Amino acid sequence: MARLLVQLKLRLVLNALRSSTAAQTSFIISTFFAFVVAVGGFYLLAQFRGLTASVDLTTVIFTAFALGWLVLPIFAFGLDGTLDPATVALYPLRTRSLAVGLLAASAAGAWPAANLIALLGVTVGLARGPLGLLVAVVAVVLQVLFCITLARLVTTSMARLLRSRRGKDLGVFLFIPIFALIELLGQVIPNAAANGGITAAAFAGVDAWMRWLPPGLAAHAIQDASDGHPGTALARLGLLAAVIIVLGWLWVRSLGRALVTADTATGSSQLRGTALPLARYGLRGAVAARFWIYQRREPIALVYWAMTAVIMAVVSASTILGSHQHPAVVIGSAVVGAGFVGYFHANSVGLTGPSFVIEALALTGRRSLRAYFSGQDIALSVIAVPLLTAMCWVLAFAVRNPAQGVPATAVALAGLGAALALSNILAVTLAYPMARRAGSPMPQAAQGFGSYTFGGILASVAGVGVAVTPVLLVAAFTSTAPAAVRTPALIICSAAYGVALAWAGVQIAARAAEGRLPELCQIAVRSTI
Amino acid sequence: MSVTGSEPAIEVRGLRKSFGAKEAVAGVDLEIAAGSLAGLVGPNGAGKTTSLSMMTGLLRPDAGQVVINGLDVWADPVAAKTVIGVVTAEARLFERLSGAEMLEYAGRLRGLPAAEARSRAGQLLDVLDLAADAKRLVADYSTGMRKKTALGCALIHNPPVLFLDEPLEGVDPVSADVIRRLLTRLAGSGSTVLFSSHVMELVEQVCDHVSIIDKGKIVVTGTTAQVRGGKTLQQAFIDLVGPRAGDEEVLSWLGSSSS
Repeated sequence: MARLLVQLKLRLVLNALRSSTAAQTSFIISTFFAFVVAVGGFYLLAQFRGLTASVDLTTVIFTAFALGWLVLPIFAFGLDGTLDPATVALYPLRTRSLAVGLLAASAAGAWPAANLIALLGVTVGLARGPLGLLVAVVAVVLQVLFCITLARLVTTSMARLLRSRRGKDLGVFLFIPIFALIELLGQVIPNAAANGGITAAAFAGVDAWMRWLPPGLAAHAIQDASDGHPGTALARLGLLAAVIIVLGWLWVRSLGRALVTADTATGSSQLRGTALPLARYGLRGAVAARFWIYQRREPIALVYWAMTAVIMAVVSASTILGSHQHPAVVIGSAVVGAGFVGYFHANSVGLTGPSFVIEALALTGRRSLRAYFSGQDIALSVIAVPLLTAMCWVLAFAVRNPAQGVPATAVALAGLGAALALSNILAVTLAYPMARRAGSPMPQAAQGFGSYTFGGILASVAGVGVAVTPVLLVAAFTSTAPAAVRTPALIICSAAYGVALAWAGVQIAARAAEGRLPELCQIAVRSTI
Repeated sequence: MSVTGSEPAIEVRGLRKSFGAKEAVAGVDLEIAAGSLAGLVGPNGAGKTTSLSMMTGLLRPDAGQVVINGLDVWADPVAAKTVIGVVTAEARLFERLSGAEMLEYAGRLRGLPAAEARSRAGQLLDVLDLAADAKRLVADYSTGMRKKTALGCALIHNPPVLFLDEPLEGVDPVSADVIRRLLTRLAGSGSTVLFSSHVMELVEQVCDHVSIIDKGKIVVTGTTAQVRGGKTLQQAFIDLVGPRAGDEEVLSWLGSSSS
C-alpha cells in the first residue's frame, strides 16, 4: 500500500509536468522555492554556530517549520489528492495499511526533501562532537516525522470542513497571518537588522516555553548531546517520539472515522436578517447594500482590508523598529494605504465574476451606471475612512510623532477619494478575469493578465501620490498655523477634495462603461472565482 | 426561419459569432411568436449558449440583428434589457447574499420599489420552495436551489420575454415540476419563453414550438408536432444531427459474469 500511494504521489507530480503551461510553471516555481528553502534553511541554521543564542534560534526555526506544515497543507488540500481521505474511501483498504501508505506519500516530494535538507543545517550550526552529530540526525528525522504526522492529523480531522465552502473561507483567512509573516521576514526584519534594531543576541531566552514543544525538544536534545549530557538528550528524543506515536494513533483513529463518515453538505447557518439594508435608497442604495454585505461576508474582501493595514504598518516599520527616524513616514503609509485600497477594488468586474451579468442586465444607461459606481464608493468608504484614519493615528503614535497624525489623515482622506476614482475608471478600462488556482486561496489575474495586476498597482499608487500633492503642499505651508484652526480646516478641505475626486471618477467611469457592458460581461464570465 | 403565430416577440436575423477561427454561430435566423413557450435544442457545442448570450445583450455579435418586442437589442440595449429576464446555464448569483437578499437585490436592480421587491421576493421564494432556506447564503445552496434562485431573479420584474439556458439541469423532479408549471403559466399569460435544453422529453412536453440548432445554424424550426414529424422528438433530433457510431463491440467484457 505504501509503495502504491508513493507511486500515486509521484504520478500526480509527473502529470503536473505534462499538463498545461500554467501547471508546469506552477510546478517549476514550487520546486525552485523548495530548493531555495533547502539551501537557504541549511545555510541559516549553519550560521548559528558559535552564537550564544544558537539553541534558541534553532528552536524558533524548528517551530516555524512545524507551523508551516500545520498551515500549508490546508492551502494544498485541493491540490494534493493524497491529502483527502475521501479519494481513497471507495476502495477496500484497511485503515492501518492506508495510514502507513499515506504517511509515506506525505514524505515523498520536493517539499519534504527540502524540509529535511534545510533542518540538517543543525549538524553544522548546533551539533558538536560525534554524539552531537548522531543525535542531530536522529532529531531532524523525528522533527520531520512530527511535522508530517501533525499535518496529516490536522488535514484528516478537518477534511470534511476543508471540502466545504467554510473550509475554503478558512484558507483565505489564513492568508492574513501568512502575508503578515512574509512582510515581516522579507521587509521588516531585514530593515530592522540593517539598522541595528534586531541582533542575534536579542533571541537569547526566547525559547523559555518553546523548548517544551516537540520542535524545542528536538533542538535542545542536540544541544544536550553536544554539551555531554546524553541521558537528557535521549530523554528529550524519547519524549518527542512518544508525542509522534500519540499523534499517529490519533491520526489513524481520525482516518478510520473519515473513511466511514458521510460527506455532508456544508453545515450552513441561517443569517439573522433577510432584508437588504439601504435598499429604499434606490439603485445606489441597493448597490451600496450589496457591496457592504460583501465587505463583511466575503473573506477575500476582509483579507484585502487586513492587507491594507499590514502594508501601511510595513511602510512605517523601519521607523518604528529601527534607529532611523523618517519625518514623514506616516504620510507615506497613508498614500500607499489609499493606493492599495484603490488597487484592491480596481478590478471589481473581474472580482465580482459571473454574477456581474445580473447587474449588467439592469444597468440601462449612464445614470444607472453612475448610481452603480457611487454605490460601490459609499460601501467602501464606510470601511476605508475609519480604517485609514485609525491606522494613521496608530502609526503616528508608534513612530513617537503624534503630530504626523493630522497631515497623514488629511492625505489619507484625499488619497481615498483619488483611489476610489481610479478604481472605478480602471474597473472599466483595465478589467480582467480573475482565477482561483489550485493551492492558492486568493484569486489572481487569469493566465495572460498578470501585467494588468502590475498596471493596476502602479496606476493606483502613483495616481494617489500625484493627486494628494495639493494636500501635501497646503499641509507644509500651514505647518506653523494654530492647530485649533489648521487641524479641522485641513481635514475638512482634504475630505471635500477627496469627495470631488471620487465624484469625477464616477462620471468618467460611467461614461466609459456605457458602451462596454457586453465586453465587461464577457470578462466577468471568464472569471473563475 | 419563422415560427408562425401572432406578432413575433423575438426576431433574430443573420446572427453570427466567431471565436478565432471557430465559427460558433454561423447565421441564425429565428422568429418566436409572442406567448410562445419555445425550445432551442442542439448537441453540445452547437451554439445554443452563444446564440442566447447574443440575443440577451451579453455577447456582442459579429453580425446580425436581434429584435425583442420591437426593440433592437444591439441598437437600443437600454430599452431591450427592461423587457427581458435571463437565466444563464451556470446560475450566476451573488454567493455571499442570502436567497432572500439575492431576490430583493435583483428586484431593486430592476427598479422595483423596496417594499415591492421584498414582497415579490418572499412570494417567489414560497412558490419556488426556497422559503425555508431564504436566510442561508447562496454559496451553500445546492445546484437545484441555485437554478430556482436564478429563475426567481429573472422573474421578479415580470418580464414579457424570458430566456433560459438549461433551466432544469441538476434540478430534482419536484423542483423541475415547479419550474415547468411556472413557465407554462408565464407563457399562458402572454409572456414569451425561449429556453435551451438537452432534455427532449421536457421540450416535447411543455414547448409549443421547437428549433433545432447544429453547427451554429438552425436546421429546423416549427411547432413541436411539425418538428417531430410523427416520431418522438428524441428520434427526430438524432435523425437530424446524426447518431454516434456504436462502440459496444469493444466492451464485450461488460456485463459478463467473468471479472
